[in-house]
Order: sequence, then structure tokens, then C-alpha cells
Amino acid sequence: MRKKFSVGNTVGFILTFLVALTILIPIFWLIVSAFKTDAGVISYPPRFFPDEWTINQFKYVTDSIPIFRMLGNTVIFSGCVTVISVLFDSMAGYAFARMNFKGKKMIFSIILLTMMVPFQVIMTPLYIEVYKLNLLDTYLGLILPRATSAYGIYMMASFFQGLPKSIEESGRIDGMGEFRIFWSLMLPLCKPAVASLAIFHFMNNWNDLLYPLMLTSSASMRTLSAGLAVLVGNKVIKYGPTLAATLISILPLLILYIFFQRYFVEGIAAGGEKE
Amino acid sequence: MKRKMAISLMLTAVICSSTLLGGCSSGTSGETKSGSGEQNGKIELEFWNVFTGSDGDILKEIVNNYNETNTDNIQINMDIMPNDTLQQKLPAAIATNTAPDLVLFGVENIAPYVANDSLEDISDFWETADVDESNFLDNVVELSYVDGKLYGTPMQYNVSYLYWNKDLFEAAGLDPETPPATLDELADFAEKCTDASKNQYGLALPVQTTYMQFLWANGGDADDPETGTNLLDSEENLATLQWLQDLAVNKKVTPVNSTGSDCDAMLQAGQIAMYFSGPWQINGLREQGINFGIAPCPAGTDGAYSPAGGCSYVIPKGTDQETKEAAYKFMKYWLSDEVLKEWSQKNGFPVWSETLMEDPEIQNDEVLSAISEATQIGRSYNLGYSLASQIDNDVMFPMFEKVLTGAASPEDALKEASAAMDTVLAGSN
Amino acid sequence: MKRKKKYQPHNQKAAYLFILPSMVILTVFVFIPLIASLVISLLNMNIFMNDISFAGLANFRKLFSDSRVSNATLNTVVFSLFQVPLQVGLALLLSMYVAKNNKYTKMLRSIYYLPFVCSMTAIGIVWSMLLDPNLGLVPYWLKQIGLESISFLKDPSLAMPTVIVITAWKGFGYTLTLITAAVLNISPSLYEAADIDGASAWTKFTHITIPGIFPTISFCIVTTTISSLQVFDQTYVMTQGGPLYKTETLVQYIYDRGFQTAPYDLGYASAISVYLFAIIAVVTFVLRKVVLNKGEESDA
Repeated sequence: MRKKFSVGNTVGFILTFLVALTILIPIFWLIVSAFKTDAGVISYPPRFFPDEWTINQFKYVTDSIPIFRMLGNTVIFSGCVTVISVLFDSMAGYAFARMNFKGKKMIFSIILLTMMVPFQVIMTPLYIEVYKLNLLDTYLGLILPRATSAYGIYMMASFFQGLPKSIEESGRIDGMGEFRIFWSLMLPLCKPAVASLAIFHFMNNWNDLLYPLMLTSSASMRTLSAGLAVLVGNKVIKYGPTLAATLISILPLLILYIFFQRYFVEGIAAGGEKE
Repeated sequence: MKRKMAISLMLTAVICSSTLLGGCSSGTSGETKSGSGEQNGKIELEFWNVFTGSDGDILKEIVNNYNETNTDNIQINMDIMPNDTLQQKLPAAIATNTAPDLVLFGVENIAPYVANDSLEDISDFWETADVDESNFLDNVVELSYVDGKLYGTPMQYNVSYLYWNKDLFEAAGLDPETPPATLDELADFAEKCTDASKNQYGLALPVQTTYMQFLWANGGDADDPETGTNLLDSEENLATLQWLQDLAVNKKVTPVNSTGSDCDAMLQAGQIAMYFSGPWQINGLREQGINFGIAPCPAGTDGAYSPAGGCSYVIPKGTDQETKEAAYKFMKYWLSDEVLKEWSQKNGFPVWSETLMEDPEIQNDEVLSAISEATQIGRSYNLGYSLASQIDNDVMFPMFEKVLTGAASPEDALKEASAAMDTVLAGSN
Repeated sequence: MKRKKKYQPHNQKAAYLFILPSMVILTVFVFIPLIASLVISLLNMNIFMNDISFAGLANFRKLFSDSRVSNATLNTVVFSLFQVPLQVGLALLLSMYVAKNNKYTKMLRSIYYLPFVCSMTAIGIVWSMLLDPNLGLVPYWLKQIGLESISFLKDPSLAMPTVIVITAWKGFGYTLTLITAAVLNISPSLYEAADIDGASAWTKFTHITIPGIFPTISFCIVTTTISSLQVFDQTYVMTQGGPLYKTETLVQYIYDRGFQTAPYDLGYASAISVYLFAIIAVVTFVLRKVVLNKGEESDA
């Protein structure tokens, strides 16, 4: 067992606790403020809790936009992107980390280069392309451009690099094919990385605003965050509904996260406890 | 010419190769627009607009009502998006022939779109749709014309108004029913209504906006869009900016460095005594129970003026004749007294139809008559000028922001702005 | 740097199959638009895409005399220079405490990850309202305890630091999770051996922990730097580049020129994009060289 220094531990405890507070207080504020009246949100002096609790802001949101349809779109979009992208990213990452082939270094550098392209730069050509492929305003058109990511490839490659060589060699001795070695031997060892990448992709696509707004042209294909952006007024911001909409947009993810997190933490723990 | 061809070939090649790699073909699309067209005799119109927020709800109601009651078998599918998104998508959509059939946006957009040949010329509208143009105020209809051709039909029109909080006036010992009529009174009242200890301000002056009403009131101006002349560097403007900086920095009548939406919220919270804004404040103030009045912009040495604005329905380039005619029918529906009245009454926008101005209900509406009166001093600030938004972003916003925050002296801010204006105006040639 | 020149043929074929799906997608949806963007930067072209003509390097010449480009470059560099060390440093510091498995540390890790789960839009709305100098709770509380009212996002000298802190606050949980995973993956036997040798906590940290998590840290530094040079969402939501352009970053300016301000000059916006792209490529190249060299040193 490692020795424990009580002074260091106390400082650590206080520090980590304070940092946690800076996260919990704003989120808690958002949750209670979504139940404030319009006047309550902008009252002076400001108050943390509502004087008067109301669910009118949520009613306003659900009356104004087809929220369940948008929720469904978001689940389909983020879900498909996550599954496909994690698969493709791990495959490519595995190849770059564990295999030798001609042009590997160059291709990997080029992939890294694509990570440096801000979306705004390729936005308009991408729009035209998706249109030319006849995929505008479809699920496929939303999913396909996101079906792999340079970040994911990079991340999986660095995780695969850390695995011992002996594992795949034992597979090769057993006469396994390359895909079998990847799928049944190597990938399971990367569960924490896969889980964290999956969460990463799911969240990013769930929260993305500009991209789905760009590639959809009807309200019935909008994702949640893009749909809720419409609620925030153009000339006059309606703070009450904005807070309710903000809460609605992050709530499904927060709930999902609570479940995923357990698996995630245990996955990491399992990785840490093995010799 | 050849060069141009080569470039477009290059672009086409890039795009086509992507099509091949993707393994799909685009052959079938491109001829007709997606979304629009006939389905079991129904003509569907794709309609994009930027009416997020509560006025969008009222617009939605009117459109739904039209869908249910119209006898021409027209179905309007409305998509609301933030203004930014519309500006990103619409030009690309027009270029790829996937544009909607009807768009509603600010009149300031018409000129740049026309300059890029992206809107349908609808000069035949009045005749084809059988609508009497002379029934509408000239200065309103004018905003949809570019070089003598009509590109849109008016949807709403407004200027900037002075809102004042009657309760705060009374608390400061002022007559709650008398708004300031001159800039001197405005400054005086603003100082009296300011109480920093209560976080209460006499006059909100947000950044990222322009104050043409002040420049004009003293005889100044920004530029002449007709000739592309820079009018910024004048004694009048300098005096106005000095007065403005004195108000904001020395007398501290405004919350520092606030944006328009910050000030909107504070106005609704009853923390601001006076504020310049459009009619869209009315509903929010009513909901919050603020005791407010609406007055015309106060006068300076040269008179009183207020920057005008509005929204128009436009038809993107490439819309086929049949769809265009269906769009005309909806535009005509909007221009009926019945719909215009509903819009004005529910949103507090001024009335600009001659027949509607005679309407007793409109005449007896206190807010509407105050606002209609205050609308008479409307003046165009670069409306219909394709450089308008660049002038705002590169010249006017930074100038007013520096003056209001005290980041630069009025002299320096004006000089810098005038130089920036020269650059923008020169870039147009 | 000597490499085996031997490629097993079956292995090589399999490798190409492994990377094929990703390569096709990246080619179609990233490379080609990127090349299109490069081409556009040499053109006089606006978003309406008619009246296109060849501009040569005119857009690039314009770029180097545009004071908003140099201002945005400075802002972007300042942002990265402070945000990356803050985020990775905070994550590293806190991971020293939470990289063990008990109920409290597990809970902490879950909490730290929360802001990362939320969209930047949501975070931006919440902090803008909490920090609003007139209606926000934080300035009000500061006033209550006798401090001067501070307008975090509205004050030209405070806006950028505030955006930096909020960005690091949002992202450190993710970095921390990766670092923690790496720390927990270090074999406990190494620490046990060090204990037998009587090594101090500091020695163990510098000789076992740091080398053990170095690949992860360098990964975090590189990816955080790349995304920080592309900073956009946070300034877009919270400050719109203001006050007085103090938070206007390069992507924000590209967006403004290409999509927000008529005449929507795509050619010029693309030229600035190419310029930004070059900056990011150089920074990443240098960073990878430095970080990888360091990594090899600490391996030895």
C-alpha cells in the first residue's frame, strides 16, 4: 500500500471538493431556474430559488416545437454515428498502431491534418457535396459525413499502442485471422477507450448545433439542440423558455451519462486492477 | 472568360469526383427543387423565415390558419431558423437549386441578394395578384424595390422608438406622462433616473448597435449610399459623440458594455428608465406588467429622425412559375386588412395600410396610435445598400462601442471610423 | 529511427482493409471540401457563387494588412497558450487525488465530467446569465461581500480570461478521465518495488507516474491544442467576439466574413482559413516533435 500524507490529503480533499462545487452549483441553478416565471428569471436582486414555481416554461417549449420528434431524430443521428464511428475508428486506429504497411506514416499524418480543419472552413463545400449526393435532409446525409473521425482514430491508435505484443502473437499462433485477432483479442482489452470514445461521439453529435442546422432543411428532421436554438428569440431573448429548453437539451444526456458513467468507471477500474 | 470557365470546371471536377467516390449518382435531382411541387393536386410551398421567439408563434398561427382556409389548395410548410443559419444556408441553397419557395427576412438583405441575382423579380405582383399598391405607405413599399424593380412584398415596418418606464419617472420626480422631446431633456432625465445603488439606469445604451437617431438629430450622417460618399468626419458628429460619451462614461446613465439582449432583460425587470428599440419589446413589457410609454425619438438641433426597418416576403431565384403564383396568393393574403390588423394588434407593429388606418379599432388602440405617430419620423439608414452590414460591422459598431465604453476619445474614434469607412466604400469598386 | 523494411504481405492487405472505410469517408467529406476551400481562397467568390473570378493571391495579400486578422491571431494564440496548460494542468493536479477507487473519488470523477456532457451552448447560456453584471448572481454575491461589481464577460480586459477559464472548466473533466485511466493502468507492482527501495512520493510521481501516463498526456496536449486553436463556440455564444474585438478569434472572424457580414466574401474567408490551417499544422508539428522527444527522453 502507498503511504498517505494526511496534510496533502486534506488539501486535496478541500480542493477537489471546491472544484466539484463550481460544477454542481451552476447545474443546480439551471435546474431550479427552469421553474421560474419570466419575471423571476430577470428579477433584481437576483435570487437562486424561484419565488414561485411554475412549469409554464416547459409547456411553452413543448407547444412551440415538435420536441419528441426532434428527440427521436437526435437519438437516431447520435446513436448511428456513435456505433459506426467507433467501429471504423477502432479498425483504423488498430491498423495504424499494430500493423506495418506502405505509406502508413504519411496516411496517418494526413489523418492528423484533417483534425486541424475547423468545420466552418469546409461547411459550404460540404453542403454542396451532400446535396450532390442527394442526401440533404436525410438521416443518411447527417450520419455519413460523421461516420469516422480523425480524433477517434488518433485516440484508438494511442490506446492500441499501449497493449503488449504477446497477445496478438498468441492469436497468430492459434491461426486466427487478422480481423479475429482485432475483434476478439485486442478490442475487448480496449473497453475503457471504446466506452470513452463512444460517449465522446455520442455527446458531440447530440450537442452539435451548426452541422445539423446546415444539413437539414425541415423542422421534422431537426435534432434537439438545433431545434431548441429556434426558441431563443431573434430580437428579444425569452430567458424563461431558454432556460427550460437548455435543461431539456442536456437532461437526456445527463440521465444517460449517470448510467454510462457507472459502466465507464468500472471499466477503468477493471483495467486498473489487473496485474 | 476562359479563366472563369477553367475555374468553374475545376470546382465542378472537385465536386463530381466526390460524387463518384461516394458511389452515388445525383442525376435525378437538380431539375426540380426538393420539397416543393404538387402532391395530389396540392401545391406545397417551402417557407423559411427568421421569426424565432414569440412573434414566430403568431406568424405560425396565421400560416396555419391560411393552410386550413385557403381555397387554392396551397399548403405552406414553415421552417423557422435563427437569422445566422438562414444567411449561411440560403445562398448555398439558391446556388444548388434547393432553395425554399418563399422567404421572409429583413429588408436590409434584399439589396445584397439582388446584387447577386438571387431573388425573383416580382414587379408584376401588383397586377397579377390584383393588389392595390397605392393603399400602402410609399416609404414602406419602397424598401422592397431595388433599381425600380420589385423583389418583395412588405410584411412589417417599424422604426426605433423611445420606451420609458413611467414608474421610474415618477420615483425620480419627473412627470410620468411626459417623455423627453429633445436630446437635452433626454440627457437630463437620464441622469435623474439613474441610481447606481439600486442597479437602476436612466438610459440604456447597448453596444453592437448604431445610434443614427442621435447623429441625424444634430444634422450629421454616416454615408451617402447613392454616391458612396463618406459623411462621418463632421463637426456635428463629433459634437454628438462627445455628448454621448459624456452621458455614458461621466454620467454613467447606462449599464457598461451591455448588449441589446442584456438591456431588453433589464428593461423588462424594471431596471431601466429609457431605452430605444423596436415594437418587439411591447409584448414582453406587457407580460411583465411594466408601466411604460412609447414616444418618438427626441429632437436635436436639426430635428427628430428614427432609423427605419422592416421585413419582406421574397421569392428565391429559380422558383417555377406555378409555385411563384401560389406564393403571390399568400403574399396577397398577408396584405389583406384582416391579417395586417391581426399582426399589428398582437405584436404592436405600426399600421401602414391606408384603409386600415381608418379602422376605428386601430384608431382607438392606445399603443398602436402612439407607435404609428412615432413612426412618421422614419428615415432610411443604408437600407437597400449592399454594403450596409459591412459598414455597421467594420465602422459603426466599433465607433459607438469605443465612445460608449470610453476606450477611445470621440475624436480618435471618429477619425478611426472615418478611415475604416473609406476602406469599406473603396472595397466596393 | 530505423524501421523494419519487412512488410508481411497478408498483414499489409489486411491493414489496408482496416483503414479503408475511414479513408473513404474522410476523403469524401473532409479532404475534398478542404481542397475546394483551398481553391476558393484563390478566387473572388461570395457565398452566392456567381460572378466567380480568379484572384490569385489577392485574398492573402489583403489578409496580411487586415488589422482584424492580426488581432484575431493574437487572441487565438493567447487563448491556446493559457487554456491548454490550465485544462491539462488542472486535470493532472486533480487526478493525483482522484486516481484511486473509492466512493468519494468515483463520485468526484463523475461530477468533473458533467460540464463536458453539456453543450457549449447550454454552458454559455448558464454562465452568461450567472455572470451578467446587472442581473447575474455571481456579481451580486460579490457585491454582497463588499467587492466591487465585476462584469466578467463585458469588461475588455476580463472577457478573454473568463472565456479561457470557462473553457478549461468545461473540458478538464474529460482530460482528467483519460489521465486517471492511464494512472490506474500503471502496474501497482512498480510502486511496490519503489516502496521497497524507500522512494519518496515525489520520486514515485516523477519516475513512475509521469512516464507511465506520458503517452496520454501528450495525446491530451496535442488534441486540446488543436481544438483550442479552433475556438469558436464559446466566444460565439458568450461574447460574439466582443467587447471591442477582445475575444474575436480566427474562426470567429472567418465565420463573420463568410457568413455573417454581407457581401459574404467566401474567397477571403477561405484565405483566412488556409492561414489558420497553416498555423495549426505548424504548431501541431512542432508540438509533436517536442512532446515525442520528451517522451523518448523520459523513457530512457
